Amino acid sequence: MASLRAYILARVLLTIPMVLILLTIVFFIMRVLPGNPVLAMVGMKASEEQIKMLERELGLDKPLWQQYLDYLWGLLHGDLGRSMIWGRRPVLQEIWDHFPATVELAVAGFTVSVLLGLVTGAVAAVKRGTLVDAALRVWGILAYALFIPLLGMFFQLVFGVWLHWFPVAGRKNPLIDVPRVTGFYIIDSILAGNPWGVADALWHLALPSLTLGIVLSGIYTRLVRTSMLQVLGEDFVRALRARGIPEDRILFGHVLKNAFIPVLTMMGLQFALLLAGAVLTETTFSWPGLGTFLVERIEYRDYTTVQGTIVFYALLVSTVSLVVDVVYAYIDPRIRY
Amino acid sequence: MAVSKKTLIIVAAIIVIAAIAAAFMFSKKPAPQAESVIIIGTTDKVTDLDPANAYDFFTWEVLSNIMSGYFQYEPGTLELKPALVSSYEVEDGGKVWILHLKKGLKFSDGTELTAEVAKWSIDRVARIKGDPSWFVLDFVDKVEVVDKYTLKITLKSPVSFYKAVLAVPTYFPVSPQSYPADKISSDNTAGGIGPYRIVKWERDQELVLEANPNWYGPAPKTKKIIIKFYKDATALRLALESGEIDIAWRTLNPSDILSLKESGKYNVVEGNGAFIRYIVFNTKIPPFDKKEVRQALAAALCREKIAKEVFLGTVEPLYSLVPKGLWSHIDAFKDKYGATQNLDLARQLLQKAGYSEGNKLKVELWYTPSHYGSTEADLAAKIKECWEATGMVEVTIKSAEWSTYLQMTRKGQLPVTLYGWYPDYIDPDNFLYPFLHTGSNRWLGNPYSNPEMDKLLEEAQVAPDQATRAKLYEKVQQMLAEDAPIVPIFQGKLYAVTQKDVKGVVLDPYMLLRYWIIYKG
Repeated sequence: MASLRAYILARVLLTIPMVLILLTIVFFIMRVLPGNPVLAMVGMKASEEQIKMLERELGLDKPLWQQYLDYLWGLLHGDLGRSMIWGRRPVLQEIWDHFPATVELAVAGFTVSVLLGLVTGAVAAVKRGTLVDAALRVWGILAYALFIPLLGMFFQLVFGVWLHWFPVAGRKNPLIDVPRVTGFYIIDSILAGNPWGVADALWHLALPSLTLGIVLSGIYTRLVRTSMLQVLGEDFVRALRARGIPEDRILFGHVLKNAFIPVLTMMGLQFALLLAGAVLTETTFSWPGLGTFLVERIEYRDYTTVQGTIVFYALLVSTVSLVVDVVYAYIDPRIRY
Repeated sequence: MAVSKKTLIIVAAIIVIAAIAAAFMFSKKPAPQAESVIIIGTTDKVTDLDPANAYDFFTWEVLSNIMSGYFQYEPGTLELKPALVSSYEVEDGGKVWILHLKKGLKFSDGTELTAEVAKWSIDRVARIKGDPSWFVLDFVDKVEVVDKYTLKITLKSPVSFYKAVLAVPTYFPVSPQSYPADKISSDNTAGGIGPYRIVKWERDQELVLEANPNWYGPAPKTKKIIIKFYKDATALRLALESGEIDIAWRTLNPSDILSLKESGKYNVVEGNGAFIRYIVFNTKIPPFDKKEVRQALAAALCREKIAKEVFLGTVEPLYSLVPKGLWSHIDAFKDKYGATQNLDLARQLLQKAGYSEGNKLKVELWYTPSHYGSTEADLAAKIKECWEATGMVEVTIKSAEWSTYLQMTRKGQLPVTLYGWYPDYIDPDNFLYPFLHTGSNRWLGNPYSNPEMDKLLEEAQVAPDQATRAKLYEKVQQMLAEDAPIVPIFQGKLYAVTQKDVKGVVLDPYMLLRYWIIYKG
């Protein structure tokens, strides 16, 4: 336990230089790119004087090193700065406007991908060498190779337009009014005592999470299969069979649990990536998440928003990664830090 | 404890059945509301709800529905009628504008619209110096309160079209109780004096408007308007087809518009837009400093092919920078070069400029991939095809992202570029002066300067009557076709596709939807 505590502390401390390096790279890359947020925002018709005035207001007329230090100083005080375009809203507020949508999609998509991947991978392992195994392995590759917008549009057409089972896009029905408290519609609906809001939020999540989940499940299919086959070949499994333990119990009680560890690593990485936003899914389903938001702000050269969002991502990914490693230690007693 | 396979299968089956049941439960539209609602889907966005900083078309559309200006276009026409004013006078040859405000008009916070408030609003725009502040700063010398309901605006110099400038959303009055005096308030939902007010605003997701109880005019035909924002034109189309939205507006793909039209299940409302697209030659960069080169490329342009093959007929060939439908428009480029691609003339001009099949004119054609929509690469490719059909031109296509494209253009680094223009105000001045007047076209990298042209444009700005101005603008257009520093390609048509029961969608060169006349019936 003491070693685990020390490990956690070391990881937390290492996050600081990691974020600093990442931030510095992003800071300078953004400013090296041609174009600037003022031009992108004011467009074609602004006068030179107006452009220069806005650049001064945004501090873009200062030397690069000074802009960098000013930004770091703000960061030390927990200030991610303000957006450089459209009213200059605080970056934290911009992130919080979009992050809940990303979390909802990430959790839902992740759940679908893991469940589907676990089931298909386990079945493939158990039915090794059969047609079912071959089909599921092909499925694993096919799923991962699928182009999200294509699959998404297919679902929108079939389930949205033809069958009217699900909405084609968006996060909620605008006719259902749920006051925004946390930004998570499911939670806000519960807080408002509005079950229709909960159902509506889930209903809107269905197609995007299915699309995302199916594509991502391909990785898990293959990983779970490989991992399970490895464990199935272990001596302890042979011993369990020799003792007459039913195959079901061996599979679900012992094999899957042990095969889960490498899958857990992948899950941690996947989830962290999903929290960074699934740009293609967000675009296809007009999901107002952080992914498309960041892409838009890069196009507009909104330096502070891009920097702030990347810092946010970095901290998020490190946290998720640390949590995964700690969970690892609890699951697998062989792991010691 | 190990869980049996049977139990797992049963649990999974229950989950699947429950999910399908839930889907069926929610597959019906929500129960009809007691009040009327229209849902508009768009891929556009609202950027800034402060008229002192808003400078894009969709935001202006929203502002035009939650606020009013001193003058307003009559739907379906280009006629400006008094809106917040009961009457007005123009004195001193167009230099002084006296506005008599309607009495008793109130903002949603209870503040009355008086001359003081009107002056404060205009001064606020000048103070804040936001994006569109030039509408005030470039024109206005001073604003004075004559009496409680009378405002006097003295311009820096007389301008015949100032009424059109007064109609732009930048001039929409706002309440001093709801808007800060000297800073931009981008998420401010207080609105102004308009037929609707904002009741909910979730950026990039939805905007909910309800009929404004303080509105002095006739009540809007539909009590509630919801605007849903989409990120993708295909999703917008699918949303219309699934019945989630009543109107798909700004902007469907051309192929989707055609396919929806052919289905016969929707109203496809078409209108002439005042949005234009054009090619810019930087006359400071050789060989585009040679008039014959520019004229040759103007002659070789195949507008009809572009309109048909790239845009599937959803745009109209344009032969002047002044769009068709606007007074003073003449088909100057058609008169000079012909209605269709004129390869003989193009080759003659190229030969005159010293080019041949063995010595081709090399053109670097630039475009920006996403700002004008996904068809831009195809547009550039088609123009290349048009020009190379002469056999004497070799085109290299290059692209840069919007921000970079703007910067390089301003610095005068790009020889040939593709651009578009949405008018600031509906007057031929706005389609000519910013492009052709020396210094005013700095935003295009100062690509052209002609003192004779400058003189005509300046004269037309102050000429007292439309007939005189029209004659001057005709000369400008003829000169433009002769010099060809900028070559018009097409004029956009506006399309709104609606469910069959939606009525009252009017599309005109004003290009902003009036929600208050839309209804279901």
